[in-house]
Amino acid sequence: MKLGDQLQFVRQNMKRNKTRLFMTILATAMGCAFLIVLASVGFGVQKSIVDRIVGDRLVTSIEVPGKDRDVNDNQGIHSEDIQYFHSIPKVKAVTFKYWVNQPIVIKANGAVIDNDRMLMVDFNAEQQSGTTLSAGRWPEKDNEIVVGYNVFGVNDEGVSKAADRLEQVVKLHVDHYDGGKLATKELDAVIVGVWNEPKREWIEDKAIYIGEGLIGQIEAVTGTLAGEIPYFDETPDPKQLEQRLSEIPKAGEPRQFGGVTVVADKASDVKGISDTLREKSYYVYSVADEVSQINVFFLILKIGLIFVGAIAVLIASIGIFNTMTMAVTERAQDIGIMKAIGAHPSVIKRVFLLESAMIGIIGAVFGTVVAYGISVAVNAGLPALVSMAMGEKLPEGFRFSIIPAYLALLACSISLVVAMLSGYRPAKRATAIDVLSALRRDI
Amino acid sequence: MMIQMSGISHQFTIGKRAKEKVVPVLKNIHLQVEKGEIMAIVGRSGSGKSTLLNLMSGYIRPTEGRIVVAGQDVTGLTEGQWADFRLANYGFIFQSFQLIPGLTAAENVELPLVLKGVDKALRKRRTEELLEQVGMAEYMTHYPGELSGGQQQRVSVARALVMEPPIVLADEPTGSLDSENEKSLLTMIRQLNHELGITFVIITHDEQVAAIANRTLRLRDGAVQHPVPVSGSVQGGVGI
Ligand SMILES: Nc1ncnc2c1ncn2[C@@H]1O[C@H](COP(=O)(O)OP(=O)(O)O)[C@@H](O)[C@H]1O
Ligand SMILES: [Mg+2]
Repeated sequence: MKLGDQLQFVRQNMKRNKTRLFMTILATAMGCAFLIVLASVGFGVQKSIVDRIVGDRLVTSIEVPGKDRDVNDNQGIHSEDIQYFHSIPKVKAVTFKYWVNQPIVIKANGAVIDNDRMLMVDFNAEQQSGTTLSAGRWPEKDNEIVVGYNVFGVNDEGVSKAADRLEQVVKLHVDHYDGGKLATKELDAVIVGVWNEPKREWIEDKAIYIGEGLIGQIEAVTGTLAGEIPYFDETPDPKQLEQRLSEIPKAGEPRQFGGVTVVADKASDVKGISDTLREKSYYVYSVADEVSQINVFFLILKIGLIFVGAIAVLIASIGIFNTMTMAVTERAQDIGIMKAIGAHPSVIKRVFLLESAMIGIIGAVFGTVVAYGISVAVNAGLPALVSMAMGEKLPEGFRFSIIPAYLALLACSISLVVAMLSGYRPAKRATAIDVLSALRRDI
Repeated sequence: MMIQMSGISHQFTIGKRAKEKVVPVLKNIHLQVEKGEIMAIVGRSGSGKSTLLNLMSGYIRPTEGRIVVAGQDVTGLTEGQWADFRLANYGFIFQSFQLIPGLTAAENVELPLVLKGVDKALRKRRTEELLEQVGMAEYMTHYPGELSGGQQQRVSVARALVMEPPIVLADEPTGSLDSENEKSLLTMIRQLNHELGITFVIITHDEQVAAIANRTLRLRDGAVQHPVPVSGSVQGGVGI
């Protein structure tokens, strides 16, 4: 018997008792919808929470705060380390921050530009890692600099003001000791860009970002690493000054970088790179690590929810079992006739299995549609309800319920499998129907 | 030789395990049905006629003996194999027609072709042809409940023949028919036997039916009453 004919046969049979069929499909649809909606809460809350944790941080970034002191004689990250990070496969960029160790006064047309620190960064690496500017362009020359988002004022006002100052020449007043006396040398620099907005609204970015070339000029002026110089309340005597200066590293000594971040090509590369770094006894932290722990928790939660939801489908399966058993009983005579003229038992079985599968599929499809409807309604209605009941606002974009396609597919598969399992015994019974008992009228 | 039954005995076991009772029905039956003949099986009610036919049909298994049909030993066939064998070799006519009430006349006739997996177009042609042949072309879309007994039996004959089986088994085919319908059914059977060479095994207690048979087997208490004389040339078809 061809599949098309079997389906046709099933269709005919299903038409016989429409009310019963409808109720059975309804029960299956309810079970399936319940399963999907329940599990969708797991998906929704997970996404909302993970999104908040990640924020706009890069999931591809791995922070490397230092090295294990037990293994290495120095905890800091140095140029060799940065070079090594570059050599690891699937590393897209390595960014860092290096503090200029002098409160350098910056003036434009005699007016002081308020800043709280000066950082040397690798502009190329920043660009590659996805750092953006909120205004202007990336520096190309040694003396081009980028200012922090809040240098010219808090909030958006700062940016618009900063935008007016682009391509403006400023003077860096670098302190140094000249012949035992504190002196100031002015270095020219040009503001070409404004750094991106801080990730947290309470953070103010009043930093000045400079390149390796400019820090080199500063160090050339001071003769010390990172432009660090000692300050005294009174003019120091030469011995005292010399003593203090000797305690400060000289220009050209190895730099110790902070805020070192290794950026991977893809989020899926993070684990491999992290493991490699850990093996080399670096301290490593990545959002991806944290998120993966949260994801494990939610995975367990979701499995639990799907399991509970599947119970609803199982309950619906009792209805399918009942319906199919009745159908077999009702059609015993038809089955007997079919067997008598030469229907193979496997065909009979398949027809009944198809029928219960059909109930499962139709129920699952309806259930899925309803579940999507409920999901949309819940996401739209619940925030309003929460703010009404508790007077509290949910975070922007918070979603209780998300139905990924694979959840819908999984629920449909569960419904289908359960429907076929519950149709199996009735189908088996149908094949076992005795021809002569079914044709009893003739004997 | 179309059907050969040798040393067939059959007994039913009734009652629950503890109070099992064995009812012997058929005792050491030997029977041969030649290709192209009409064989009638007659005997009193309860003599084992239906049981004999059911053994031939594969609805039940003999307690003892061997059955060969169309050159194939069918004694040990499984249920599934029997189903395929029936579909390919047998047409069935039943006393109470055994049409599926939920299917139209045409769908009932088409059923064996559907089971066989025949193409839709061919199925339709064949079904119409057969219904035409039994004079039921106008009733294609009628359900069995909307047809008289004689009409239902014609439909069931069409169903029996739709696969062009070499053998037709009929258990009291005229039992539910009035004399007019009975007559036309018998004419049809003779004609089919004559024109298509179909072998018929017909159970009856009606002498008129037995009269169209080439041979008649008499059963009494589950045994063949006396040797069956071969009447004339079998291949010649109609003897009367
Ligand atoms: N399924 C059965 N179980 C027990 N006894 C049966 C069964 N079928 C038939 N018999 C018995 O076998 C005997 C022959 O029955 P059957 O072959 O139907 O006779 P006939 O068709 O000649 O009237 C009867 O005595 C009947 O009671
Ligand atoms: Mg009988």
